[in-house]
Amino acid sequence: MAVDIDFPSLPKQRVPRFVLSPRRILADVLSKGWVESLIPFVALLCVVAGVLATTNGYFEGSNLRNLAQYAADGGLVVLALLVVVAVGGIDLSVGSNFAMSAFVALFCFHILQLPVPAVLLASLLAGATIGAVNGFIAGLLGCGALLTTLGTMITTRGLYTLASQAQLVEISSSARIDDLWDWIGFEKVLTLPVGFWALAVVAVLVLIMFRQTRIGWHILAVGGNRKAARHGGIRVKSTIFFAYVLAGVIVGLSGFLFAARQNSVGSDTGIGMEFFVLTALVVGLGGFVPGRGAVVSVLIGFATIYILNNAMINAGFRGDFVQLSMGAIIVVILAIDVKFRKNRHRLLASTYLDPVSFDAGTVEGMRGLMPDETAPKLKDARILASGRVDGPEDVLLDAAGNLYCGTRDGYLYRLNAPDHAEAEVLAKIGGRPLGLALDREGRIVACVAGMGLVRVTMDGQVELLTDQTERSLLSVQDDTTIRMADDLDIGPDGTIYFTDATKRYDIENWGLDLLEGRPNGRLLSYDPATRRTRTVCDNLVFPNGVCLAHDGKHLLVASTWDCSILIFDLARLSDGPRVLLSGLPGYPDNINRASDGGYWVALAGMRNPVFDEAMRHPGVRRRMTRHVPPTNWLFGNLNIGGVLKVDGAGKVVDAFWDAPDGPLYMITSMREHEGELYLGGVTNDKIGCLKLDKADPTWRGPESYWGGRS
Amino acid sequence: MNSTNAANAAAMTPTPRRGVGRKNMLERVVAVATLVLVVVFSFSIDGFATLGNLRVILSNSASLAILSCGMAVVIISRGLDLSLIAQMVAGATIFGILISSGVTAPAALLVAIVAMVVFGFLNAWLIAYVEIPAMLATLASSMFLVGLLRFAILRGEFLLLLPKSNPTVAFLAGDIVPGISMPVLLMVATLAATWFLLNRASVGRVVYAMGDNFQAARLAGLPVRTSTIVVYVFSAVTALIAGLIMAAASGAVDFRTVTNGTLLFDVILVVVLGGIPLRGGRGGVRNIVVGVALIAIMRNGMTLMDFTTQTQDMLKGLVLLTAIVTDNYLNPRDAETDTVGDL
Repeated sequence: MAVDIDFPSLPKQRVPRFVLSPRRILADVLSKGWVESLIPFVALLCVVAGVLATTNGYFEGSNLRNLAQYAADGGLVVLALLVVVAVGGIDLSVGSNFAMSAFVALFCFHILQLPVPAVLLASLLAGATIGAVNGFIAGLLGCGALLTTLGTMITTRGLYTLASQAQLVEISSSARIDDLWDWIGFEKVLTLPVGFWALAVVAVLVLIMFRQTRIGWHILAVGGNRKAARHGGIRVKSTIFFAYVLAGVIVGLSGFLFAARQNSVGSDTGIGMEFFVLTALVVGLGGFVPGRGAVVSVLIGFATIYILNNAMINAGFRGDFVQLSMGAIIVVILAIDVKFRKNRHRLLASTYLDPVSFDAGTVEGMRGLMPDETAPKLKDARILASGRVDGPEDVLLDAAGNLYCGTRDGYLYRLNAPDHAEAEVLAKIGGRPLGLALDREGRIVACVAGMGLVRVTMDGQVELLTDQTERSLLSVQDDTTIRMADDLDIGPDGTIYFTDATKRYDIENWGLDLLEGRPNGRLLSYDPATRRTRTVCDNLVFPNGVCLAHDGKHLLVASTWDCSILIFDLARLSDGPRVLLSGLPGYPDNINRASDGGYWVALAGMRNPVFDEAMRHPGVRRRMTRHVPPTNWLFGNLNIGGVLKVDGAGKVVDAFWDAPDGPLYMITSMREHEGELYLGGVTNDKIGCLKLDKADPTWRGPESYWGGRS
Repeated sequence: MNSTNAANAAAMTPTPRRGVGRKNMLERVVAVATLVLVVVFSFSIDGFATLGNLRVILSNSASLAILSCGMAVVIISRGLDLSLIAQMVAGATIFGILISSGVTAPAALLVAIVAMVVFGFLNAWLIAYVEIPAMLATLASSMFLVGLLRFAILRGEFLLLLPKSNPTVAFLAGDIVPGISMPVLLMVATLAATWFLLNRASVGRVVYAMGDNFQAARLAGLPVRTSTIVVYVFSAVTALIAGLIMAAASGAVDFRTVTNGTLLFDVILVVVLGGIPLRGGRGGVRNIVVGVALIAIMRNGMTLMDFTTQTQDMLKGLVLLTAIVTDNYLNPRDAETDTVGDL
């Protein structure tokens, strides 16, 4: 009964290998997470470029080694501050703590004559003690961090000044020399100073702590949202305490390195350091952001400020001018960053839609069948379950005549035969269930937009089959996730063929994909035996309905915006699609088999000449989406739709239009069952049922497909 | 019947005045501590409890009180002005340079006021329009301002000397009527202006609303941006007044007051000890007076006892730590509403 399809004689459909567009790359980059770290990085590049342009030989090995020598203590203190800021606090006492630790190191080394490891331990302990005081008051007692550390800053500074004034003469007159002490202070390992290696090791350890360890995650959680962390069972207070102590230890190490290198402290040691490191942190993080353990960004920020400062002083500018410029630069970087952060989503929104010129061709093969040339046959449709189902995109009938449909609220409903009057919940899936199909075992396989491919048994068990496919080459954004699984059909071997209508938009924005007019969709397959998902054909124009041909060897796929039906040869899928039918008068949605060897094609909406013209002019559409409210956009005509009857060879033989005043709108799906056609619509709240004149009154979909083969 | 009785009973029960008695506990504790200090110092230090010393305390604390007024208004609006001392020095420098070069005092004052208004406006613009967090914006603007003045006007120097013989300088440092010096008069005037701004001007209501809940104030349609401008311009003007007093009293403008941070610390100490929480929305002129009283008495007593500056700083640091721990004990934070932004 079925007509053989002459596949090789059909015209080939051109499918692009990849889509490259500058606007799309910009939009994809903007939606990446790392783009926020870009500003400190760009700032560093600007500084380096500026230094290169104005100074000769700044980036030579000797000068870089020199820079690295003095970078260690500042860098360590920045990391310490990062730990405290990550937990949601602030530490103004780092400068005083630094001076105090350096003094403790010198005191232990020169006055107490302790061995160097003990000196290191004493420095770390001194730092940890001040950190513990901060942590006790700000963490365990829960006082404000700014005031607490302001208090410890002033107190420690006072203590330091008193102690260093009392001991300075003795320290500077001490003649103790120790090889290890000098090695730490002056030697180079692998051409870089020891202090720099200490900084590198601590940076890696802090990075690992934030990425991999429980306490690091707890710190970030507390900094991100203290209340949520507490409700999540994290011991907030002790986490804060730990962060302050850790910061104190890191500052202690920094003070020790300083002492070993300088062998002296002065009254100004560490003064203004808190402002310097705060600046570096702010430039690195792009603002004062708690809950981010961005070690690399912060070190980039530190390098920016450090090199800038150093280069300006090298160039002979006075300290006051450096101060002036630093203030101005911080304001500028902060302003750019705040504005970028605030407007990033707007920039993204205005660049995301990337229209291209698109021509769906002229309407062909519809002579005598257009809505104005025939009577609206759907006017006579019986209405089932009116008001009981919300948006049945697809309808499905089993052998017993029970009707199934998914709804907008994520349910799968069953309407029992024979009268289909009551809708009962078969399963709650979630997402937006769209296309449905019955497999050989009588289970329902559903495409769910926002989820993927789902299988539902007749007793309501839901199983997710797949939600990911392979990542395509040359895509900035990760497109493994199946964003809008639309329709499916099952091959004779059990392989499920389904479409991901668009990779760039969620279901609620499917209309934007039409305005874009780009090949954003793909045809996928899922093999239940191997549980593997493959991309059969990428870069299709909104692939929608999927239907296996009667011969079981070809696959029909509706290309909605293209107004055409594509056909694949199952034996040679890699050859790509050919065009079975093009020039449809509307936008084809689902396709299903008919009893006479032909196919039913649902038209979700109609083309119109104005919109077809707009599709040829991408600039018009881009300006329209920017300046015109969405309710006034040019769009296809979704108020009228219908069903086309296509014969086995791909020729339109009949058309069933709905009347302008309903009762059905935007038909997205239809199934033939025992001489009747059941009609679903994605925006309808009812299901239509139309008696067919020339149909086989005993034909049932599942039996004709699975029954004939088993 | 029963329900009516229940309703009556409910109406009769006084609604618990939650927090009203406790909110100002820190202020009371500090007030009591101040009195105790006064009593202790009166007995232990010779020459403390004299009228002359009272006059010294008042004159010396005038600039601190004036700066605290500016800082308090900013903090009540949930801001922070770390550039206050830089502004103070800047205002005094501009005024000093102008009168040294022979400009008449009213003209010099006018220029200084305009400069301060512009600078306060720039701060507020960065905070309210560019939306940089107040702490960072004022930190950077402070660096910028000090660097600019030292670079452009002082040519790298730290110190600007004022001619003490200049009639304007003498006027600012001297007595108006015997017993009441100009600094004290300006202090009282600034306190009165602060009281008016916070309690009688409509901006004051917005300031408290912003401090209580900034988002709610903004969403309610209050003019938060223009109010921010008023707040920072006000603090800039207080900084100018304090700077004039300080420069006239010492005959010099010393940029090291900015870098060593002690004065800024004292100002924050006054505001916090007075019972104005850093998260804003609470407090008033009375809190400033209480805070200034404690710090002024402490400073005076410690100076009379010949404590070094470092010891004084250390003791003040300990007082601050004690105060915030006490405050935390008296007004524990609500863990449910405690957010990360409250530093």
